Amino acid sequence: MSGRVIVITSGKGGVGKTTTNANIGTALARAGKKVVMIDTDLGLRNLDLLLGLENRIVYTIVDVVEERCKLKQALVKDKKNPNLCLLAAAQTRDKTAVTEEQLKNICEELQKDFDFILVDCPAGIEQGFQNAVAGASEAIVVTTPEMSAVRDADRIIGLLEAKEEIKSYKLLLNRVRPNLIKSNDMMSVEDVVEILSADLIGIIPEDTGIITSTNKGDPIVNDETSLAGKAYNNVARRIIGEDVPFLNLEEDRGVIAKVKKFFSGLIGKEK
Amino acid sequence: MKDIFQDLFNKVFGFFRQAEKEENAKDTAVNRLRVVLMQDRTNLTPELLEKMRGELIELLSKYVEMDKDALELNFEQEGNQMALMLSIPVLRAKDEDEIEDQDDEKTSSENPEEEEQNDNSEDAQDQEPEKENSDETSEEEEQKIEESNTNQKEQKSK
Repeated sequence: MSGRVIVITSGKGGVGKTTTNANIGTALARAGKKVVMIDTDLGLRNLDLLLGLENRIVYTIVDVVEERCKLKQALVKDKKNPNLCLLAAAQTRDKTAVTEEQLKNICEELQKDFDFILVDCPAGIEQGFQNAVAGASEAIVVTTPEMSAVRDADRIIGLLEAKEEIKSYKLLLNRVRPNLIKSNDMMSVEDVVEILSADLIGIIPEDTGIITSTNKGDPIVNDETSLAGKAYNNVARRIIGEDVPFLNLEEDRGVIAKVKKFFSGLIGKEK
Repeated sequence: MKDIFQDLFNKVFGFFRQAEKEENAKDTAVNRLRVVLMQDRTNLTPELLEKMRGELIELLSKYVEMDKDALELNFEQEGNQMALMLSIPVLRAKDEDEIEDQDDEKTSSENPEEEEQNDNSEDAQDQEPEKENSDETSEEEEQKIEESNTNQKEQKSK
C-alpha cells in the first residue's frame, strides 16, 4: 500500500486549516479509509483539541525524530473511529526541532500502512511550511472570501507551483456566507476562483456549529444534520475520486423562504 | 420659490447620481486584490511602476504633446494573462520636422557620450537589442495614439 500524502495549508492563520484537517480526516476514515493526521505546527498544536484527543497524547513527532519512541507508539487512535490516527506536534519545542528530511521519512514510513496522510501545516511561509510540504505530493489550499486570505493563498500557490514534489493542488473556500455574497458585500466563489485561477475542491459555508463542535472536540462531519459537515464530507468524497456536485449553500435560506411563503399565503387567504 | 424647487431637484438628482456611482464592497475588494496581486506576482513595486511611467513619458513626448498628468499606466487581467495598459491623452501629434529637430539636438548633445561608449564594445552590443525593443513599443503606442487622435477629432466634429 502506498498512501497519498496531502498537505493542508493556507499562508494566513485562522482561515480554518486545522478544522479542515480534522474534518476531512474524520470524513475519510468514516468512508472506510485508513487515515493518519500529522500536526506539524510545533509549539502551537491544536489538531489534538479539535479531535478531543488532548489527554491521550504520550509521545509527539519530536519524540519520534529524537528516537525516544517508535513511530507506531506515537500514533494516537481516535476515540470513535479506529481507522483514524493522530501524530501530535510537540507543544514545548519550536519549528527547528524537526527537519524537512525527517518529515519526509516519517511520511514515507506511514505511506506503507495508511491510505491517507494529512499534514496540518502551520501558518506562514517559513521553515514550518517548508517542513510540512516536504513529504507531500498533493496540497489543499484553504482560503476564505476575504482579501488578506486570498492574497496569502496566491502567495502559497506560487510557492507550491515552484515545488517539484507537489503534483497537484486544490482550493478549498472556507467560511462562505451566501447572504453576504448575495448582497454584494462579499466576494463570490467565482470571484475567488477566477482571481486565483485554481481548481476548487470544496465550498464550506460559515457555520456556528463549528464553534460548538470544536468546544466538544468532535468534528462537525460527525453531525449529519450540519451543512458544513455535509460540505466537508463531499470534499472527502471528491478526494477519493467521486464526482460530487457542489452544495447549494442557499438550501437553508430556501427553507426560510418556504416558511415565509407559507405565512404570506395564510395572510393572503385572510384577506 | 423657484430656488426652493431647484434646490430640491438638485438634491434628488444628486441622490440618484450618488447611488449609481457607489461601488459595492465586493467590487472594491476584487479590484483592490487584482492590483495588489499583480504587484505581488510581478514583483513590480509602485516605485518601479512610477519610474517606468516617467521614462515612457520621456520617450513618447518625442512624438506627441500629451497631458502628462492624465497618463494612466495600469495592470489588467484577462484570464491567466496579465496586460500592461497605457492610456495617453494626446493633445497634439508633433510633425516630422519637429521630431527631426529634437533628434538633431539630442545627437549633438549626446555625441561625446557615444564616443565613450564606443570604446567599450560590450556596452554597445548590450544596447542594441534594447533599442529594438523600444522601437517596437513605440510602434504600438503610436497605434494607440492614432486611435485617441481620431477620438479627439470625433469629439471636435460633435
